[in-house]
Amino acid sequence: MLVSEEARRRTKNRRAKPQRKAKRVSDDEEDDEDEDEAPRKRGRKKKARPRDSDEDEEEDKRSVKGKGLKASRRKAAKDESDEDSEEERDKKKKGGRATSKKEKEEQNKEKKGGNGKERESKGGEKDKKKKNGNSSSSSSEDDEDSLSEGEIAALKEQVEEKKKLIATLRNKPWRMKRRLVMLKEAQEFVEKFEGALGKGKGRKLYAYKVMMTKKLIKFKRDFENFKTACIPWERKIKEVESHFGSSVASYFIFLRWMYGLNLVLFGFMFGLVVLPEALMGLPYGSIARKTVPRAEQDSAMDFSVLFDFGGYCKYSFLFYGYYNNERTIGLLQFRLPLSYLLVGVGIFGYSLMVVIRTMARNANEGGDGGDEGEFTFSWKMFTSWDYLIGNPETADNKYASITTSFKESIVDEQENQKDENIHLRRFLRVLANVMILCCLGGSGYLIYFVVKRSQEFAEMDNDDLSWFEKNELEFVMSLLGLVCPPLFETIAELEDYHPRIALKWQLGRIFALFLGNLYTFLFALFDEVTAKLEREQSIKNATEWALNQYYANYSSFYNTTNVPPPDVHPADVIRGPCWETGVGIEFVKLIVSDVQVSYLTILIGDFLRAVIVRFLNYCWCWDLEAGFPSYGEFDISGNVLGLVFNQGMIWMGAFYAPGLVGLNVLRLLTSMYYQCWAVMACNVPHERVFKASRSNNFYMGLLLLVLFLSLLPVVYTIMTLPPSFDCGPFSGQEKMYDVVMETIDQDLPAFIGNIFTYATNPGLIMPAVLLMVLAIYYLNTVSKGYQQANLDLKRKMQMARDEEKNRRNNKDSTNEVMKDLEDLLPNKSLIPPPVEEEPPPGVNLQKEVSLAAPNPRGPVTRAPVARGRPPGNPRGPQPGPGRGRGRGAPPRY
Amino acid sequence: MGSRASTLLREEEIEEIKKETGFSHSQITRLYSRFTSLDKGENGTLSREDFQRIPELAINPLGDRIINAFFPEGEDQVNFRGFMRTLAHFRPIEDNEKSRNPTASEPLNSRTNKLLFAFRLYDLDRDDKISRDELLQVLRMMVGVNISDEQLGSIADRTIQEADTNGDSSISFNEFIKVLEKVDVEQKMSIRFLH
Repeated sequence: MLVSEEARRRTKNRRAKPQRKAKRVSDDEEDDEDEDEAPRKRGRKKKARPRDSDEDEEEDKRSVKGKGLKASRRKAAKDESDEDSEEERDKKKKGGRATSKKEKEEQNKEKKGGNGKERESKGGEKDKKKKNGNSSSSSSEDDEDSLSEGEIAALKEQVEEKKKLIATLRNKPWRMKRRLVMLKEAQEFVEKFEGALGKGKGRKLYAYKVMMTKKLIKFKRDFENFKTACIPWERKIKEVESHFGSSVASYFIFLRWMYGLNLVLFGFMFGLVVLPEALMGLPYGSIARKTVPRAEQDSAMDFSVLFDFGGYCKYSFLFYGYYNNERTIGLLQFRLPLSYLLVGVGIFGYSLMVVIRTMARNANEGGDGGDEGEFTFSWKMFTSWDYLIGNPETADNKYASITTSFKESIVDEQENQKDENIHLRRFLRVLANVMILCCLGGSGYLIYFVVKRSQEFAEMDNDDLSWFEKNELEFVMSLLGLVCPPLFETIAELEDYHPRIALKWQLGRIFALFLGNLYTFLFALFDEVTAKLEREQSIKNATEWALNQYYANYSSFYNTTNVPPPDVHPADVIRGPCWETGVGIEFVKLIVSDVQVSYLTILIGDFLRAVIVRFLNYCWCWDLEAGFPSYGEFDISGNVLGLVFNQGMIWMGAFYAPGLVGLNVLRLLTSMYYQCWAVMACNVPHERVFKASRSNNFYMGLLLLVLFLSLLPVVYTIMTLPPSFDCGPFSGQEKMYDVVMETIDQDLPAFIGNIFTYATNPGLIMPAVLLMVLAIYYLNTVSKGYQQANLDLKRKMQMARDEEKNRRNNKDSTNEVMKDLEDLLPNKSLIPPPVEEEPPPGVNLQKEVSLAAPNPRGPVTRAPVARGRPPGNPRGPQPGPGRGRGRGAPPRY
Repeated sequence: MGSRASTLLREEEIEEIKKETGFSHSQITRLYSRFTSLDKGENGTLSREDFQRIPELAINPLGDRIINAFFPEGEDQVNFRGFMRTLAHFRPIEDNEKSRNPTASEPLNSRTNKLLFAFRLYDLDRDDKISRDELLQVLRMMVGVNISDEQLGSIADRTIQEADTNGDSSISFNEFIKVLEKVDVEQKMSIRFLH
């Protein structure tokens, strides 16, 4: 913005100059008002004006969209007023009552109208002066030539005239509408130039306001740029997109979205659960659940133990067991147990809401584009280069992205033209599905088997087991995740789908695989939980018995009923297995092993492979780059599903391990950078790059499914399983949700409790469910109706377009006389449908034959005399020749 | 700088340019200063090398074609008038120009003229037709060596097939217009010149 800087300096100089004398007009009051309003108006006008710069075109480009909108709005407004004034003039002319004064007015109007072109045609010289006068004071537009005295005087005169007009308008023998129009225009003119010409305060204020408007505009633009720059990883993703196509980019966009979601979840979890407990709760070592038991203390700091999330990790705020069941903690009387439950459920609620909202929005966006494919190649050819690119690196990316997009189109094209042996294809597809089903069944059984074994191991002593035996479950699951997807992909090649469809199949299959894994894992977990519950029951009984013994002994020994609580160090207290923490640890371990495996896979499968291929290629018998190992491709389906299931684990595990969400945020953050790097450094683009939308609802659908599935076990445990008696925020309760009941009973007024009692009455729930079903049905019907309407509208638009084309064709063929006749015809909608004319042989008739209403521009079959004037109103306003809303030619008189 | 430039430029010259191109007085003087800063030879004309110094043009695959568009046929110097005449294609269409006197000759920045400018970028041999060979050349400039010749050929064929309506296996200007019917050329082929 060097230019404007310079200009500002210059204007400052000019402002410092002695001000030119200019007569003040008599009516001061009006004047002031005008001056006040002028800059505002002017400012608005400026804003609407296309932002002026050829220096920073890049910035302009970025904001083209918004500007376009603005411009079109302005255009609409302008058109309106143009039309109005034109109409006005016509009317006046027709009326033929133009006095000399009026003529003068009209001239004035034309001069000032603000339409540069018009002004130019009237008197270029004057126009220029005006412009100069205008901008010299408007502080930076035209600064080369200053105003001459004569020019100022002329301008002054005009302003004067306008003012007089305003003052005397009341007495003019015009129609009200016309008067209003005149008044408005005159006022606008005065506003515009009064401030520019004014003296002292008015002028300074005006200049100041103009400057502020400019600053504001600039600030807005900068802010827009800033906003764009603030979208995290946008550049990275664009880079990836330009080299690998939209399909790979869609994964990264999904990852970014997921990161945002997890950040919010983390905020909830951390702010409402972890932080209060850490700050206001009892410190570590104060009670049994916050202390490492004596037996484990020796090894509590060992790395291997910590790595398995035992020892100090297990008794930290990362896990459920650490939280105390005190109803309120700290000065704020924070209800931690209630907050814990609500956050646990709220995470699901929020995620559900966000996912569904995103899906709905995507559905809106992705609605069109179906019939845009008319000129794909031509458009790519003629419009793909961005002429504002000035940076070589960007240009490289643009080259890559053009190439990629061409490749995408080629793939689509090939797919359309494929002709095939349908029976063979079908057979192969069935075969592939059978094989994949076998694989799925096998892997499901394997997991089940391993889970059983691990339960046996769990009963054995921990020290007898090897590392492998301890981690068998995770190992097998990771292995399956590693082996099955490529296997499926190989099998899927039999099917020979278009890559986009193939990706969906692949996603579905791997989803099924992971789902099987997940559910076997969950069932195993439930087995474990029930086992632990039994053990806990016995320990609880034993503890209670011991406590009773102690009380009995104490009271009998000291002969007092005032028994102090047993003085046992928290580390020595007998405690239950705390199944919630156990579940939490399982989840955390799973996530961590998943991270390890996926990172190692990238490191070995992509990076090492790329290094070997790259450098061993110098001394190898065959071409490694083009031949067998080659570079890896980015595995979209695997990564997407990995992300989706990872999220499912987080959703399920977050309730038992509040720290899990934080862990996940870290994981997503690192994997964003890591994978971006990996994909740019070691992968090659897919051989068949295909186009994917930026907002992929298929991924979201999978996510929604997983969300729902992970909701089930958590809600089940909350509603049915009894919480551990000696750990976690719900200890001592029968069920976890009793916390809510307790709060309602004790802390809320009685009537709310009553309301709840009524609300949970089956008599009310049944109708409510029924109502919801009805609502769903209704909404479904409505949405179908809208869809239908949408389709209809689309078809209509297509028809209108065809009609337009036809019209253009016909217009060429219609002779001049006809056209002239048409122009004379003011209101075309009143013409009866014309007779279809024979197209002359030379015209190329399009294949699209219009089905819509017949061509309104067809030849005239009726004399243009008696247009539907209402019979009862012979003196009604005659529709003038220009009335067809600008359709006819301007009147030539 | 601006005021100096305006002294170098005679008033009547400015008037003429204004009439021809529709630029405002200040725009002309501003562009003139830009013109002189591009003009390294300081002889009042620009050569191809001068244009190639602009980074946007230097890395543009069609940069040469754009630069060519500035030069009248057979010449390799362009003076300020010619410079402005070419730039006028990129002047945004102002609202008041839209509905005004349709009888007058079309301004340089009309939609058709903008499209014609774009069309000439592709029409290498200036025969008012974009042939397959011309498309191939442009494609090669745009994608480099990343796509095989065979595929490029098929892309060119497809493009022509899409756009060609009269079956002469080349794209005429009318067909070109039809292809870009839905593109907002008025918006896209406009540069916001400083006022």
